Amino acid sequence: MTTIQLSHINKSFGQQTSRVQVLSDINFTAQAGQLSLVIGPSGSGKSTFLTIAGGLQTPNSGQVLLNQKSLPALTAKQRDALRLNQIGFILQAYNLVPYLTVREQFKLADRVKKQGNLSADALQNLLQRLGIRELQQKYPDQLSGGQKQRVAIARALYTDPKIVLADEPTAALDSDRVKEIGRLFADLAKTQHKAIIVVTHDLRLRQYADRVYQLMDGKISRKAG
Amino acid sequence: MFLALKEIKREKLRYTLIIAMIVLISYLIFVLTSLALGLAQQNTAAIDSWDTQQVVLNKDANTNLTQSLLTKDQVKKTDLGAKDAYLGQAPVVATAKGQEKTSAQFLGLAADQFIAQNLKLSAGRQANAKHEVVADTAFQDAGYHLGDKVTLNSGKTPYKIVGFTKNAKLNVAPVLYGTLPAWRALKNVGPQFAASALVSQRANFKGRGSQLQTYTTQQFIDKLPGYSAQNSTFTFMIGFLMVISLIVIAVFLYILTVQKLQNYAVLRAQGIPAKTLVSATISQAIILVVGGLAIGTLLTAATALLIPTSVPMSFDLPILGAVALGLVATGILGALIPTRMILHVDPVSVIGG
Repeated sequence: MTTIQLSHINKSFGQQTSRVQVLSDINFTAQAGQLSLVIGPSGSGKSTFLTIAGGLQTPNSGQVLLNQKSLPALTAKQRDALRLNQIGFILQAYNLVPYLTVREQFKLADRVKKQGNLSADALQNLLQRLGIRELQQKYPDQLSGGQKQRVAIARALYTDPKIVLADEPTAALDSDRVKEIGRLFADLAKTQHKAIIVVTHDLRLRQYADRVYQLMDGKISRKAG
Repeated sequence: MFLALKEIKREKLRYTLIIAMIVLISYLIFVLTSLALGLAQQNTAAIDSWDTQQVVLNKDANTNLTQSLLTKDQVKKTDLGAKDAYLGQAPVVATAKGQEKTSAQFLGLAADQFIAQNLKLSAGRQANAKHEVVADTAFQDAGYHLGDKVTLNSGKTPYKIVGFTKNAKLNVAPVLYGTLPAWRALKNVGPQFAASALVSQRANFKGRGSQLQTYTTQQFIDKLPGYSAQNSTFTFMIGFLMVISLIVIAVFLYILTVQKLQNYAVLRAQGIPAKTLVSATISQAIILVVGGLAIGTLLTAATALLIPTSVPMSFDLPILGAVALGLVATGILGALIPTRMILHVDPVSVIGG
């Protein structure tokens, strides 16, 4: 059951002499029930890869299929709805809304997506698992970097997305937290049949991945898991 | 609204400052509008109280009541009914023992015509004898009482105040209503002169005579010395203030929006519709402007209570309401300018790639 498929994706920025080829002939498939890890150094095109997979930008050529639907063929409004309902983004810049408490970050999601979000109990379990259950009345500027990152993860998972796209989700976390996040992602993939794609240079997550890819100089290759 | 209220609640200092700015702008506009209305009213209060439709002047008077003189011969072809009246006008300086000199407008009336008949007195009675006057309550405020005597211009004859009436102002001067014979004496004209003008409550009234020119009351008011220039000045000042407030509010909202673009980009990446973010920005502008207006209104009301009665301020609720609505519209317009940025925010700019 293929969930997301990138075929022959090319993406470049700039023109002529300043042209930079960021992604070259990328072929990638992520399936429901799997945690896919895309590893690469800074500047290797990981974030571009992720934004194309999530429909935030379009490739110069190639095809992006999400459940057999071509993402570039959707209207901006349809892509918004898709991201809201089916994709959970965990961003490297884990910008939480600064004037909302942790609890209110989820309320905001409730206001725009009325159904299908986690139940109150499921949310409390998730927050407990992430170690941030006691922080629900705190504002982002009252949280540490690691706590903010875990709130950002919870917020992305709150809408119960079928696909989770995570950009460096463990950058600010210590090893124990990385293990917990790795186990959480692996569990979510297995038990809830989510397709989870993590782009990172954090090799500590490798042991939890079903598939590992290497992104280097704009080219992707699969590594032994 | 959810995002707008939460942000205001969290960023109290920032939004208090913005509301304070809107309070000052709305206060300034309200006070200026009230002063403009007050001044305009002091120009025309007496005319408004007569409820006239037409004014007949000497055609050579250039629509100026002070310059107009109508002889009995000139008006003899004009039939006067119950809704028409003679009006004799003379600028005077009123003096009395123990009182400062007061510039005033003496208006001579015929006791049996509608202006004198309809005069609403706050105290005393109508002027019946030649040397009796009914004075505007500004004289009462200045310390005059019923029975006090005033001399007018350089004349030796005292005029007794027998009544007071409200809203009797003409050209920002208080009015002394007297008789037509007294007007002739003050104007130094003979008995062949009937009045300065004929006024009528009838829309179809027309002065009959080659030397007579008929004007609508509005035309007459517009030609009152300084009236149009003064109103235009205030209108421009208020207009410019509205434009300046639009710019200031737009700049503030623009800066606020720029500061939030990164958050908006993340929210857009998460699929939060642009209309949610745009409506948050607009509702925030409405909350700020309405909040500022409410406090500005309270300040204006407090000012009205504290300001001396010599300062003309008038509070016309429909006009002030329209000004308030204009400010809300200005705020919404100011909020619409940065919404373009929200609609075009690129989530990739935050995420990278």
